Amino acid sequence: MTRVNLVGFVEHPVLGESPYRVSRDGVSYVPVGDGGVVLGLELGDSAFRLAADHAAPGACLMHPDAAARHALAAFACIGNRAVVRTGSAAGAAGSVIGKRGEEGRVIVAFRPGDLSALRPSDEVLVQTAGQGWRPAGIPAEVAVLNIDPGMLAALPVEVSADGSTMTARVRAVLPGKLAGNGIGRPAASWDLDLQLTSDDRSASLPDVLLGDLIAVTDIDARYNMGYRRDWLTVGVVVHGASPLPGHGPGITPILTGPAGTLQTSPDPAGHVGLTAALLQLQ
Amino acid sequence: MKVQANQVRLPRQVLAGEIWPALADRHAFRVDPDGRPFVLPGMGAVTLGVHCGDPATGYASDHLEPGASVRHRDPAANYALQFLTCIGNEVRVASGPATGAVGHVIGQHAYVLVDFPEAALEVMGPGDGVTVVAVGQGLALAEHPSIVVKNCDPGLLDRLPGGTSADGRLEVHVAARVPAEAIGAGAGMISEYANTDLMGAYAGLGDDLSLGLESLRIGDVVCLADSDHRYGRGYRPGYLTIGVISTGQCMLFGHGPGPSTLMSGPAEAFSIVDDADANLASWLHPWPSDAPLDAALEVAAEAAP
Repeated sequence: MTRVNLVGFVEHPVLGESPYRVSRDGVSYVPVGDGGVVLGLELGDSAFRLAADHAAPGACLMHPDAAARHALAAFACIGNRAVVRTGSAAGAAGSVIGKRGEEGRVIVAFRPGDLSALRPSDEVLVQTAGQGWRPAGIPAEVAVLNIDPGMLAALPVEVSADGSTMTARVRAVLPGKLAGNGIGRPAASWDLDLQLTSDDRSASLPDVLLGDLIAVTDIDARYNMGYRRDWLTVGVVVHGASPLPGHGPGITPILTGPAGTLQTSPDPAGHVGLTAALLQLQ
Repeated sequence: MKVQANQVRLPRQVLAGEIWPALADRHAFRVDPDGRPFVLPGMGAVTLGVHCGDPATGYASDHLEPGASVRHRDPAANYALQFLTCIGNEVRVASGPATGAVGHVIGQHAYVLVDFPEAALEVMGPGDGVTVVAVGQGLALAEHPSIVVKNCDPGLLDRLPGGTSADGRLEVHVAARVPAEAIGAGAGMISEYANTDLMGAYAGLGDDLSLGLESLRIGDVVCLADSDHRYGRGYRPGYLTIGVISTGQCMLFGHGPGPSTLMSGPAEAFSIVDDADANLASWLHPWPSDAPLDAALEVAAEAAP
């Protein structure tokens, strides 16, 4: 497995000449929290807690060169260590918790004190590793992606004794028709938005928390993400809800395979996924 | 379509574009659903041999764009061209050997897609200018306030079968019904730009990829279940979206033949009628697609105001 050190820069949010976007209900709104450094939002918070658009619990990194930015997004994996190199937070260490698509963004969680010391354009070293990694002993049909080799074992994922199946404990299993933005895009560098609103809460899905593992049925995420019957994709919730139609809380896929081989154990009330404690960022 | 609309209040605006080259990058290959690399034509420039009424899938192609693919050189002018151009708008070739030939917009796909007679397409190429008479955005149906109409030339609205039915709903004829599971790339984008790729139409690939959509034709009017395209494109149970299949065969996973949006609203506002003839070919193009260029130009001259 290859380890590559990359540099990303703390993003400044960007808007066009008009500050407004249009919500799924046809209401104009100003997209607060869409990229950059968002304070007061942490792993374990509800994806619907803030009145924000795609808010992520931490700092988003980008690179001013478009191709380098795509590489940063493609190679960074959940659990990769990230170290601030410039500015008043220099020396602070965080952890990659996910990424976002299109131009490419890497989301890094920090301790709250370190996060509030960050400033857009601060330089962050990302110690990437994980793409191309294939852990021993997992079923041949299951693909692993976007996860640091040291992190998978810490997540609630188990391989059966005979090695024939893999089971992920998840908050919920959602139907593939809820998959929105991200479909048709490369799973190595885009997240997959789930078209959920706070009105969708139910007995089987009381809430979606940032860091939760969520499974999506009939989605194959080995290459581009798309419909394949009887397939399953498991991802980590990396950013919060969005008023935009076709958008919502996003998952970074980490496991994808045939539904019989990659299995789930949903726990709507008690699930624990990726947390600050697990990342030693408390 | 027998329905009250505000056609007389719609401005007509003359826009310019040019046939845009097919684009690639130095890595050439893209990846199919099974991870196999491919290099296939179909997007951009002038794609010959596929017109409204023809099968959408079954070609050795990716993101097949029938006819001419049009953009404007200036990015902001291009957005205006892409957003304001509507399905059914008349397009006239403004430079090159096919000057004067008339075609019609069949949809958007980050290019404006224009179906011309084959004889005109044969001599057209990237760089040829076209003139679009854009009209349709702002179209509204007085009796159906919950339905948002977009990307629809008022002339196309007139030619569509159906209309306000006795029970007050809007009768729309469709050639196919598309399940929500089929919605692919394009979800989350605005609905005045590009289209919604449909998955489950990879002719010749595995059964586990199929949603029974392999028989779609270019120009088919289709109905998307649980889709709300009023303010963008998203999943909303109980809403319907009507669109026109404007692009065809895809091998890129998560992509496929795509409808450009025509109208969207609550399901109860519509009365959907299955009708195999619900295709743009039934209402546009007064000449057979194999007519010679001279004949196409003659018809165009007769049709000119």
